[in-house]
Amino acid sequence: MRAVRFMLIKEFKQIFRTREMVVIIFGLPLIQLIILGFTITNEVKNVSLIISDRDNSRMSREIVRSFEHTDRFTVIDYATDQERIEDSIQKWEAQVALIIPRGFGEDYERGKHADIQILADGLDGNTAGIALAYAQGILVDFQMPDKIKLHTLNQSSGRPNRIIQMEERMWFNEDLDNAQYMIPGIIAVLITVVSMMLSSINLVREKEIGTLEQLMVTPLKRHELLIGKILPFLILTFVELGIVLIFGQIIFSVQVKGSYLLLASLSFLFLFTTLGLGIFISTITSTQQQAMFVSWFILVFMIMVSGFFIPIDNMPGFMQKLTYLSPMRYYLYIVRDIIQKDASLFYLLKDVIPMTIYGLLIFVASTIKFQKRIS
Amino acid sequence: MKKSATHKRIFSISRKEFLHIIHDPRSLIIIIVLPILQLVMFGYALNMEIQNIDLAVIDHSQTSVSRDLIEQFEGSKYFSVFYYDGPIGEIDELFLNRKARLILIIDRDFQRKFQRESGTSVQILVDAADPNAATMIKQYTNGVIMQFNENYNGKLPLTFKVKPRIWYNPDLKSDYFFVPGLVALILVMISALLTSITIAREKEMGTMEQILVSPIKPIEIILGKVLPYIGLAFLDGLLILILGIFMFKVPFIGSYFLLILLSILFIITALSLGLMISTVVQTQQVAMLVALAVTLLPTIMLSGFIFPLKSMPVILQYISYIVPAKYYLIIIRGIMLKGNTLFQLAGQIFFLLLMSLVLLGNAVRKFNINLEK
Repeated sequence: MRAVRFMLIKEFKQIFRTREMVVIIFGLPLIQLIILGFTITNEVKNVSLIISDRDNSRMSREIVRSFEHTDRFTVIDYATDQERIEDSIQKWEAQVALIIPRGFGEDYERGKHADIQILADGLDGNTAGIALAYAQGILVDFQMPDKIKLHTLNQSSGRPNRIIQMEERMWFNEDLDNAQYMIPGIIAVLITVVSMMLSSINLVREKEIGTLEQLMVTPLKRHELLIGKILPFLILTFVELGIVLIFGQIIFSVQVKGSYLLLASLSFLFLFTTLGLGIFISTITSTQQQAMFVSWFILVFMIMVSGFFIPIDNMPGFMQKLTYLSPMRYYLYIVRDIIQKDASLFYLLKDVIPMTIYGLLIFVASTIKFQKRIS
Repeated sequence: MKKSATHKRIFSISRKEFLHIIHDPRSLIIIIVLPILQLVMFGYALNMEIQNIDLAVIDHSQTSVSRDLIEQFEGSKYFSVFYYDGPIGEIDELFLNRKARLILIIDRDFQRKFQRESGTSVQILVDAADPNAATMIKQYTNGVIMQFNENYNGKLPLTFKVKPRIWYNPDLKSDYFFVPGLVALILVMISALLTSITIAREKEMGTMEQILVSPIKPIEIILGKVLPYIGLAFLDGLLILILGIFMFKVPFIGSYFLLILLSILFIITALSLGLMISTVVQTQQVAMLVALAVTLLPTIMLSGFIFPLKSMPVILQYISYIVPAKYYLIIIRGIMLKGNTLFQLAGQIFFLLLMSLVLLGNAVRKFNINLEK
């Protein structure tokens, strides 16, 4: 055991030898946390809007005002000239144009059908769809007083309208706060980056600069060598986990609703997979650059089919099946459910079991391969 | 005479670097397979529409009206309906087990109320752990209920209608936007990430000193090292673009020549960024992690690649001004999808030029300082 301790000290010295590495190991998770936490959202705000009020009646001015008063849209210009409108959309200045035709107010007062035109740049399909829905929502709200009248009496039959309304409750995340969902995901990604990428690169580095042979002629036993190599990354991973949890709470007020102990022990189980992959990558590569490429590839693939970026439910059927291949899928569910829903082990078993099997298989197979490789 | 020697030296460094890249199948994985994988994944999976949402129904009313409502949900492609008859106190298990994303509870006196009053409520519980999905689910539910109301009352007339017209992409497909985005991402990955790692490798392995004592000038080394990456980045971007156009039928309206020209400008900007990183780091590990933090992450998140910049906190919007991909995305999307001209893109071009000058100038200066030490 003493040998392992010395090895550990050596490893930590090596990892933190450069000042940059210290900054990175503690700074990288923070940067990721802040950028990802704030950016991944379907909420659309400040859509650039050009308003063309060709009517200029009391009614149209009111409509314009309700568009000015929402943070969904930012009015960039007022123009009545059609060419100016089209030009601003082509030049990416405006994404949506609201066009109120001449005579609109008069038609409306008389109860005639009046139309409002909305012109949208559809290239960013998601944003355009959401922005259109907002615009229509504002215009429907605008007619609300009339709608309430309709609610009470049906025009054709003269009897009360029979309307049902939904009374919705949002569970686990009442304010629909995006960070509550993203930060557990970031934890899963970070843990994988640190434990898989860094450990594989670190192991290969010894090979590349030729110090692995030196280590092998020392009285260290082979399993001690491996433990000494892996343990630092295990510890580092838990430090990173702590950093993300603490800053997640400070910056985004994400609280862990479930048990810390359960989170820590299941994370430990997940590390068998990622450290195992790290060892595996180090056996099939001989330079750091190769190790980086291979682990980068595995990482991107695992993230893509884990449900981190793209919710699994949104994927087409065959791709949903593909997600079972990604060990991160299971861990992602576990982290999210513990942090957001206070799930107990019982509910998580269907993820814990496949994750453990994956972990043990990968870990055992790659250690055997590693031992063979160095003997 | 001297000039041709320079050419020769640059060429031989480039040749060595190029062979180094293509001789290793593992780097080809990253350069060729990964982008194609991303193209396919994003193309088929980046779909914000959710279907077959598991909906648990608790119908205490058991009347013809409540069954009508449930049928309305069953008829929608968005929901897959099942009845829950367990104890009401344990409905949270439905969410914890992930058996349902949505629970609909219809009260016992639902039908009586519905026939007498206006505005009868039904209860909807949404698993909002994923807030984006929850918002979507709520919208779909709202749609079903509105449809139900219309069936019972006839069209509820609104006094004015909204006529939306959608330009460029009437079906609001996401492919149009992400194929050009992916090209930008690949160009950054190869030009910034790979170059910074490559130069860091020479430093780490000590081969940089060997090169430095040879008669080659620093600028020649840099040029020789980056030329193969310019070529690679260019070909790779082209490959993805062509695949994207064929697989997803993304249109190309503007000028090919202009796009090629400005893509080269962008590659130079990204390369300068990579060189800048390589001058400040000593090891490949650090180079990779720095590149990850300052090139890849911002290129994906702070450029408008997937998420619109204007919805972000103001500080991040300011930071986005120094992300080269932000400008390139407007350029490539503008040329491909809107047929933008050189004149219309002048602002973006100016920023990219400025950025590459500043970065490249700094990188060369730092490189020379390092040498003198």
